[in-house]
Amino acid sequence: MEELILELKQEIIAVLNLEEVAPTDIADDAPLFGEGLGLDSIDALELIVLMEKNYGIKLKDPAQGREIFKSIRVMAEYIYANRTK
Amino acid sequence: MSTRSDVYILAARQISVQPPLTDAWMDAPVRYDAPYVQAIDPDYRQHFAPNEARRLGKILKRAMLTSRQVMAATGIANPDAIITGTGLGCIENTEIFLNALVREGEELLTPTHFMQSTHNTIGSLIAIDAGCRGYNATYAHKGTSFECALADAVVQLESRRIQTALVGAHDEMTPGYFTLLKRTGYLGHAVNGFAGEVALSMMLASARGENALCRLRGVEMEYCPYDGEALRQALNRLLQRAQCSLDEVDAVMTGVSGRQANDQVYASVCSRLFPNKKLLRYKHLFGEAYTAPGLGLYAAAVCLGRQHIPAHLLAEHAGGEQRSAGNILFYNQMEGKNHSFILLSPCGK
Amino acid sequence: MPKEILVSGGGVISALGAGKEATLTALRERRTGIAPVRYLQTAHTELPVGEVKMSNAEMMRALHIPEEEVSTRTSLMGMMAVREALEHARIGGKEGLRVALISGVTVGGMDKSERYYLDFLENDTKNAYIATHDCGACTEMIADYFGVFSAVETISTACSSAANAIMLGAMLLERGLADVAVAGGCECLTKFHLNGFNTLMILDREPCKPFDAHRAGLNLGEGAAYLVLEREDTLRRRGAEPLCRLSGYANTCDAYHQTASSPNGEGAYLAMAKALEAAQLTPRDIGYINAHGTGTVNNDLSEGVAIQRVFGESAPPVSSTKSFTGHTTSAAGGVEALIAVLALQHGFIPVNLNFALPMPELALTPATDEQPTAPLRHVLSNSFGFGGNDTSLIFSRV
Repeated sequence: MEELILELKQEIIAVLNLEEVAPTDIADDAPLFGEGLGLDSIDALELIVLMEKNYGIKLKDPAQGREIFKSIRVMAEYIYANRTK
Repeated sequence: MSTRSDVYILAARQISVQPPLTDAWMDAPVRYDAPYVQAIDPDYRQHFAPNEARRLGKILKRAMLTSRQVMAATGIANPDAIITGTGLGCIENTEIFLNALVREGEELLTPTHFMQSTHNTIGSLIAIDAGCRGYNATYAHKGTSFECALADAVVQLESRRIQTALVGAHDEMTPGYFTLLKRTGYLGHAVNGFAGEVALSMMLASARGENALCRLRGVEMEYCPYDGEALRQALNRLLQRAQCSLDEVDAVMTGVSGRQANDQVYASVCSRLFPNKKLLRYKHLFGEAYTAPGLGLYAAAVCLGRQHIPAHLLAEHAGGEQRSAGNILFYNQMEGKNHSFILLSPCGK
Repeated sequence: MPKEILVSGGGVISALGAGKEATLTALRERRTGIAPVRYLQTAHTELPVGEVKMSNAEMMRALHIPEEEVSTRTSLMGMMAVREALEHARIGGKEGLRVALISGVTVGGMDKSERYYLDFLENDTKNAYIATHDCGACTEMIADYFGVFSAVETISTACSSAANAIMLGAMLLERGLADVAVAGGCECLTKFHLNGFNTLMILDREPCKPFDAHRAGLNLGEGAAYLVLEREDTLRRRGAEPLCRLSGYANTCDAYHQTASSPNGEGAYLAMAKALEAAQLTPRDIGYINAHGTGTVNNDLSEGVAIQRVFGESAPPVSSTKSFTGHTTSAAGGVEALIAVLALQHGFIPVNLNFALPMPELALTPATDEQPTAPLRHVLSNSFGFGGNDTSLIFSRV
């Protein structure tokens, strides 16, 4: 799980072009949207594609993302349980 | 139309192949010997927070920064209109999305580059950044994209529909798109000329203010692929409306760029319509781009503001440096199809 | 006092067919043009679209253009619609008139660019289509086909492009900078657009349901539409008949988000309110609103809020004809202005298809009955674009 968490942080930093953020800057349980990293609805769409591309998880409805992308840990747990690759 | 309002250019800021956000090119122009030169970017980290900048392509950062500086310089934080000219729009984002689509297929594409690929991304981001809910329009018409934007502003200022307008000329050039436009002959074939990039924001207003650069006395465009006489009429319309005679025009600035086919049109029109006028140029300093005329008009406006035309703007056969600057006629055309005339005057006149 | 701007002609092509007659018939028979993909080469065959039911070759034959000539689908649709508009207004040549063509377009020649892009990069065989990629090239191809235009301009404000073209046409006429303005927009369906909107997850997998509680997105369409505008003095001199008047217009910016509309619909509210003010009308005067109504969750709520802010609880009949044509993007402002003009001329309300359940947030039920409660005198057409480029036009009976 810790490995997956680090991998996720690195991928998110790359995909969302968070140039000046290091993986250690992102707390595992901190909110990704609004406060915390301050991501928005367009980032959520990018993360939905990331889930499919890297882990074979297809989310049909952007609303689903709201729960899954709560924090890095919630995201990692969801991926761990549902990944197909 | 005697009730029409005057129009002034209050201030302008540029990011181009010349040193950014200054008029340093007046005294110390940077010269290039390359077919394609990208703009000299300022350090954007001083102007944008990381979270703000992460999605912005170059053209957007340039447009936002030049706009912010013009608004700050003029104290006009909320212009009545934001009007943008761009020939190719956000071509880098367009290319990225198109490349992914063509190479990787229709699955797993992402939205960020698409949503910032439309031409009006530039003008609407400036509006979002400054909180401007007024008129907002974008023109994308090849080599006269900027003049279309300018003409829109002038029409609305003259008719007193608005009092202030932020007008922009913005084009970026990527290596990939340079390759494509080299194939069509538009870029990369100029003798002593090059392809450049353009970010120019200027504030227009119907009130002169204290530090206006110059007066803008009219814009006239003519689409006449086959008719030379129509151009003379267009020029006459401009001069008539401005109540200015051709004799009172001291210099003509054109977009000669070293590309033969296009320069020939300038030569032929100049010899026919204004054979004895002093000719000025700007593309040897700023390069070719669809909205390069924005930089040319800015250069002319700065000359009028400072009452000084540096020798390096004079076309080669003309004389030396000039210590005063009178009325300048700006003439631009592309492929002999869409033509534009703009008349600038010193503020005093 | 601004001069009167009259509409003296119009031309259209969309999923409903080529021409005003086909458009009118389909609207009145409640026959949508939205259908499975037939012409666009795409993997997304699951997405319903509003395609023009003609191939490029068929349009070229209809326009008598030799098949080897370089063209794009967007410019061909533009030519079809401009030809109808010019014929309708009986404008055949320059005849001492300064005629302007103002066209709105966004992705221009993208249909060819996405097909030949790798060719573009690697060899010299498709250069003609590099040159037709940009927006201005699209407008110039249309202009050159007719040869009657002395002023040619291209507006690109995404989905409000054509509405802004019509507005600019009116401003040029008022200032005497043109005698006649042919203004509107064109856009063909492309993989670029279809996939772009798909990444934003705002495409409905079913025929779109504007203003319905269960709306799930938009269907992309394609088309072109232009109005012929002129001042009264030109019209009288030409002995032409006006169809109606462009009595008000306004362009504003929502200044909220690149792809989303504000929750209080501020930009849309301002556009409608300022257009009414320009037309010197009150909200009560408007007999029909042709809404932007894309069918996305965000647009329809935001626009609905704005409509309620302007019109209160007693809004006139509102419909989105995107349930017939799909979202024709840059052409939408033209297609829908033309539909608004048809509604005014023929005294009917174009209905809103696929509506079942009102949005819970609003007291706004879209029109499903084509019979107006009172004779139509003034109609309003909304067109909103990415980045909050919002424009409203008002057409009035002469």
